[in-house]
Amino acid sequence: MLIGIDVGGTYTDGVLFKQGAIIATVKKPTDDMNLKSTLLEVLDELLPSAEGQKIERIVFSTTLVTNLLATGQGERTALIMLPGHGLPHDAYDICPDIFFARGTVDFRGNVIEKLDQKEIDDILARIAAAGIKRVAVAAKFANRNDILEREIQSKLAASYPDISVSISSEISNKLNFPRRAATTYFTAMTVKEWMQFAAEIDQAITERGLDSELHILKADGGTFSLDTSSRRPCETVFSGPAASTMGGLALSQPHLNSVVLDIGGTTSDIALIIDGAPLYASKGARLGKQYTHINAFAVNSVALGGDSCLDYDGEIKVQNFRRGAAACFGGDYPTVTDAFNCKMDLGIGNAGQSAEKLQQLASKAGMKSSELCRQVVNIVIERLVSSIEAMFREWENEPAYKVWEVVNRRKFKLDQIIGIGAAATAIVPQVAARMEVDSFLHDYSPVANALGAAVVRPTLAVELHVDTPNNFFSVGPGGIRGSLNDRGGMQLGEAKNMARQYLLDMCREQGMESYASESSFYMEEQFNIISGWSRSGKIFDVGIQIAPGFISEYKGVSS
Amino acid sequence: MKPTGILFFPAFDWAISPTHPEREERLLYTRDQIFEEGIMDLPQIKEYHPRLAEIRDVARLHFCIPSVEAQIIEAHLVSAGSALVMADAFMQGEIKNAFAIIRPPGHHAMTVSHGNRGFCNINNEAIMIEYLRQKYGIKRVAIVDTDVHHGDGTQEIYWHDPDVLFISFHQDGRTLYPGSGFVEELGGPLAHGTTINLPLAPKTTDAGILYAIDELILPMLEDFKPDIVINSAGQDNHYSDPLANMAFSARGYAELNSRLAPDIAVLEGGYSVETALPYVNMGLIMAMAGIDYSNLREPDYNPSRFKESPRNMEYIKKMVAQQWNAYKNREETIADNRKKSGNFVNYNKSIFYDTEYIYEDQINHLRICQNCGGFRMIESRAHQRTGEHFHVFCISIPANACQQCQEEGRAAYQDMIKKRPFDLLYLQDRVKDDLRIYKVHKDTETVL
Repeated sequence: MLIGIDVGGTYTDGVLFKQGAIIATVKKPTDDMNLKSTLLEVLDELLPSAEGQKIERIVFSTTLVTNLLATGQGERTALIMLPGHGLPHDAYDICPDIFFARGTVDFRGNVIEKLDQKEIDDILARIAAAGIKRVAVAAKFANRNDILEREIQSKLAASYPDISVSISSEISNKLNFPRRAATTYFTAMTVKEWMQFAAEIDQAITERGLDSELHILKADGGTFSLDTSSRRPCETVFSGPAASTMGGLALSQPHLNSVVLDIGGTTSDIALIIDGAPLYASKGARLGKQYTHINAFAVNSVALGGDSCLDYDGEIKVQNFRRGAAACFGGDYPTVTDAFNCKMDLGIGNAGQSAEKLQQLASKAGMKSSELCRQVVNIVIERLVSSIEAMFREWENEPAYKVWEVVNRRKFKLDQIIGIGAAATAIVPQVAARMEVDSFLHDYSPVANALGAAVVRPTLAVELHVDTPNNFFSVGPGGIRGSLNDRGGMQLGEAKNMARQYLLDMCREQGMESYASESSFYMEEQFNIISGWSRSGKIFDVGIQIAPGFISEYKGVSS
Repeated sequence: MKPTGILFFPAFDWAISPTHPEREERLLYTRDQIFEEGIMDLPQIKEYHPRLAEIRDVARLHFCIPSVEAQIIEAHLVSAGSALVMADAFMQGEIKNAFAIIRPPGHHAMTVSHGNRGFCNINNEAIMIEYLRQKYGIKRVAIVDTDVHHGDGTQEIYWHDPDVLFISFHQDGRTLYPGSGFVEELGGPLAHGTTINLPLAPKTTDAGILYAIDELILPMLEDFKPDIVINSAGQDNHYSDPLANMAFSARGYAELNSRLAPDIAVLEGGYSVETALPYVNMGLIMAMAGIDYSNLREPDYNPSRFKESPRNMEYIKKMVAQQWNAYKNREETIADNRKKSGNFVNYNKSIFYDTEYIYEDQINHLRICQNCGGFRMIESRAHQRTGEHFHVFCISIPANACQQCQEEGRAAYQDMIKKRPFDLLYLQDRVKDDLRIYKVHKDTETVL
């Protein structure tokens, strides 16, 4: 048996899943002040339905980190940046306690400028004097050479053993210094609270006599174990849309180009699935005004949902807020759901109530109720369709760096729209009809988010950079560095094998080796390095991943 | 405030040959630097996707012998198309200015193209300019060529166009490829003074080049009042460039672009792939986006290393004064030329294609028009790299041609079809955007 719990901003959903069927579902309002108790309440309501059978795995998504970042209530953390010579320092407006220091590495990993020991000592003394107990360090091109970050780390360990430190080279091996610095800072500032939360959850599970595997949902639509999560807690942001999208994918056929349209009360989230794989935000998750190296789905949120209320002020308006439930569910005002209910004759809730409230608004506007419904339905469909099409265009217009990418220009060809959320039944078939594709709705659509959490597999992406003339390689995440045995003759195949081996090692360490065989390469680049007029070696960049997918126990749902 | 448009197209899958300066690796470290800096994430920057230029876009400017398709591969169309993407974004008001960081480069490609010269097959900026004229009705253009090599291709293309001010500063042609670009090269008889060359001594520094910008180029732009300013942005004046000998810095390049304030900059040469390009490109992006670049410098930059000599400064000052006079007196000179020339001015020209060892012989005929810059006819012959010999006749009617030039040019094309002494006849009527190739032996005409 599997349990999935999606802690959302408003509601927390939970499902108990067994052999293709959902045995029990629970929905509770989320208590932002006490996520742990909400989570456990939902768990405790699900457990009786298991009737004592073994729960193999519990996965939950949570807004803990999102809330910490939004309210700035993480641990006070100093960020030391070594930005070298480039953008002005005011371009890095990441956090309040920020310190800039000298020391530069270039793109080949050459140290161009050493640390200024006195300057670093002064900065560390100021941090300690301010009572700050956690430090994040980010140097430009630390992904190519981490020596400057390591030096600061050692200095801290020697002089201030009570201050904890995170360094950016361990967080990510990708280029983009501001994103790496921000990700390192967000990791550092949330790790203490997260570890406490994780320990409490772990204890609560043990107290309930469960020996289930415990996993957390990440923004990339995969999971990681509770242990691994404490290294990079900020990967748990935006796991709500990830849960819904993966839930939609779990319910529908894979290997299609789909839009997942999650229609909530006042917002609709749009995500794209390309040939069965969810599309990621090309610049990484955006936290506040800062892009990060956190892999997150590209989600376009539209301020429009089933409960969006209708108004008239010279023309019919679909508002971006709610005044309560839809009239058919006992609300006092007509909503989007009511308009679809009447126009399509859907018989949702008390359809008479829908008709009555719509008639009142229609009289005010001096039009027939049928005309009002027609207009509302049109507004809603056009707004959603244009947002969906904007996402297609954005994907098609991603920068390209190779001739063949431009010649074989990609075009998004939509196969289906997957509807998720309570109001999806009313709206999604109409959007699909307008776009001339199939719509996909499932009885489990309203709890697709929790189902998604229950059945997704762990993910892991490993990036390897090799510079043969410099006899150097680096692997991320984790900041592994080393020198090559071979000099000069290395080929792409060997670099790929090396990356695969590191992925396997990390899988073993994280208890997910059963998925290692399902890895795939998502990046393979090689460049000849020419010195003078002859080749002196190669640079390789290889990426290998266990992409988002489903655990082997999951074979689909019985309909 | 509108963002600066950037189109970064490093063509990571195109090279002239594996160890050639124009190889896949050329913009690799630039990619590393600008991605690591995170400058593309800033709200001041908007990044664009390349597209393929159309065959017509190329044929509007060039006479590719025997055809556009025979002279280029897809990489060239992507590079030229990228410049067009930037041109559209600029003209449609999406961005305040644009920088196309693209390869293959283009500024050595001339009107007639039998092959690759100076790493260039087709001229990206000029293709963009004719596209701007055709699509948006742009008339007057200024091109400032900041590559260390003389922009001989662009100069030849606009040699007779009085509405294009072409200014090139570069390392003296007596010391560097392509061996042209001397002060006496001032343009054709009806466009005299709208081609301006500033051959600079090797080792010229930031101070020398910025003096020419302030004292000559900016006043000329102010006076010429172009509809658009293009920077043909080579990066090989840099002190570390392996193919040239100048002493310009990354911050100098940033400063230059800040003062010049081009509407669109298009990357040309620059082959110090590791020690200059990453920093020069950063400098250009920052300058165009209005980001403070005072913290930018190359790892090994030491300002005390490069001091302009008083002697060289004297030379530059003298040349600036001389070229200002040539520019100022251009209308009188042109009027004089009109009076003393006959109906046509004819001249021979030999062109060497260094990359492919092609020798081209041309006879040019320019109509001396009382109302416009005149149309041009080019008789060209060359043995191409394949061993094939072509003898062709090309008629080019410029975008701002008067009606009479247009009629006479078109009549000349019809006339040549009757006389038939060539392998191929070309008509390029940029006013009507009518582009034709006549295959004499097969007696067939292709309308592009």
